[in-house]
Amino acid sequence: MIVTTQKPLDVVLDYLSPFSKVLIVGCDGCTQPPRGLREAKTLGQLLELGGKLRNKSFVFKVTTVAKQCDSYLAASTLKPQMGGVETVLSLACGIGVQTLAGLSPEIAVFPAQNTHFMGAEEREMATLERRCAGCGDCLLALTGGICPVARCSKGLLNEACGGSKGGKCELSQERDCAWVLIYERLKKQGKLDLLKEFRPPRDYQLSGWKVTV
Amino acid sequence: MSTQVIEEKVALKLNEDYCSNCSTCSSLCPFEAFKRDTETGKTVLQIDKCQVCGICYSTCPAKAFDIIYYDMDSLAKYLERAKREYDCNTLVIMCKGSAPNFAGVERLFGVTKFIPLSVPCIGRIPDEVFLKVIAMGMGVQVLACDKDYCRFERGSTVTGRKIAALNLLLEQLGYGKEAITLKRNSLKVKADVDLCIACGNCVFYCPYQAAKLGSPGAVHFDLTLCHGCGLCVAMCPALALELENWEGETISTLLSKLSSEMKPPEILVFRCQWAVFPLLNGGSAQNACFIDLPCASRVDILHILEAFRRGVSGVLIAACSEEDCKQEKASGKARHSVTKLKERLTQIGLQERLHFCTVAPRYPERFDRELEQFSKKIEAIQSKESKE
Repeated sequence: MIVTTQKPLDVVLDYLSPFSKVLIVGCDGCTQPPRGLREAKTLGQLLELGGKLRNKSFVFKVTTVAKQCDSYLAASTLKPQMGGVETVLSLACGIGVQTLAGLSPEIAVFPAQNTHFMGAEEREMATLERRCAGCGDCLLALTGGICPVARCSKGLLNEACGGSKGGKCELSQERDCAWVLIYERLKKQGKLDLLKEFRPPRDYQLSGWKVTV
Repeated sequence: MSTQVIEEKVALKLNEDYCSNCSTCSSLCPFEAFKRDTETGKTVLQIDKCQVCGICYSTCPAKAFDIIYYDMDSLAKYLERAKREYDCNTLVIMCKGSAPNFAGVERLFGVTKFIPLSVPCIGRIPDEVFLKVIAMGMGVQVLACDKDYCRFERGSTVTGRKIAALNLLLEQLGYGKEAITLKRNSLKVKADVDLCIACGNCVFYCPYQAAKLGSPGAVHFDLTLCHGCGLCVAMCPALALELENWEGETISTLLSKLSSEMKPPEILVFRCQWAVFPLLNGGSAQNACFIDLPCASRVDILHILEAFRRGVSGVLIAACSEEDCKQEKASGKARHSVTKLKERLTQIGLQERLHFCTVAPRYPERFDRELEQFSKKIEAIQSKESKE
């Protein structure tokens, strides 16, 4: 999932201040926490209340797209709803915002979210943590299914740095040391010999910028 | 220095002078609120365990209980008043836990005109009330919850037995078979699979494992497991779920009606129907309006925001404490949602206008106190704002 957080309402209100007819577009895709119709409506109501404080009134139209990053899907869902709209506020990740911005270049599209990382949700704790760095060279087979690139603060490939204390990272007591997790996991699997293998520096170009399907 | 201890008003009292220690109450109480004093041998009510279901009140052979809500006197007064007001001869007694809307009553009982009496658990209604209604020449229809979904565990079963016994008695007296009709109903979730985005929120939040999400596709609910709390509805990001009789639209309509009638300082209270029992003669608060919900977890942040948009000055949410919650931990989830919304309202300066409190019907004055304090706070905010 792509993890996002809401931008401060003041910032969003600043974006929207020159406009009054606004289309708020949710995304039912991988944005987490889900930014679907409920979140789009909630944001609309909060902005309306916030606008009142600035003596500013808006006319909001609220809709949602199954996946905002799919330009075909976004166009077919949104084009019919763009009539009379002065600006678009997107609740998707940065990718969705860019897709919408490409739909009608004359209409400005603003992000309502800050996009953080690809992560997983720990439901009971109500937290989301980074899990994948999109490096283009997946190492998970060698590390017991725990990614050191995304989860080690230093992105180390050849075991812990030595600063780990009580299973936690030296940079943050809240954060688990990825290499301690990897060690424990490989121990359970009887594959500790994998740790002896030397891994050369990664090729960052493998992450790439374009893939043809 | 002397300290004055003011005894808090409680909803249920056991009158020792009348009690014959027959143990009917302790054998029927779903919450084990009665114990026998080892020294005196007398039955003792432990009020902190009581959920005020009223089963002991209605079944005590010695009439040793005093109860504040829906006691015999207030029920009799209500019936006489309602008979004139509604000008009809059919009484429909519904448990709040399963009470449907008007159309639902018509569908279930085939009556279009009726006197509604909605109470938290029908197990609290004494036999005398049923007999009095029959004696008044009225027909009685009873709608209880399905036994497995009774919030007071034994309330629905007790109601069933009581009505079977009364019907037998009435038949012998010549009132015909089944003079009192008993039907059962339970609230259930409705899913619109076209709107479902298969996010899995309901699967996580459902306290009863009723929501299932297979691959591929949309959510599926096992309605035999659904208890109708509405938590999934309030958590669904796609607005694909509704709770029967408490649809988002129904609550919005009620909200718009109530907000247009309010007097300052306009307070809207979302109440869990198990946390606050409304009195039959209405309430005392002039400025507050109430929306009773099947559980605080059905409180939707969209409705809270809608209330503010409609000019409501303060929104109070009255829930059960987590220990008293009639759903599994739903009260805690409700508190979490409200806290999260409060954080967001801080950004536009409305955070003080939203308040979450936990109350219990066993202490009837606590809710009134919470409401009074909150009203004063809102009044203070308003007078400060008007000065600025």
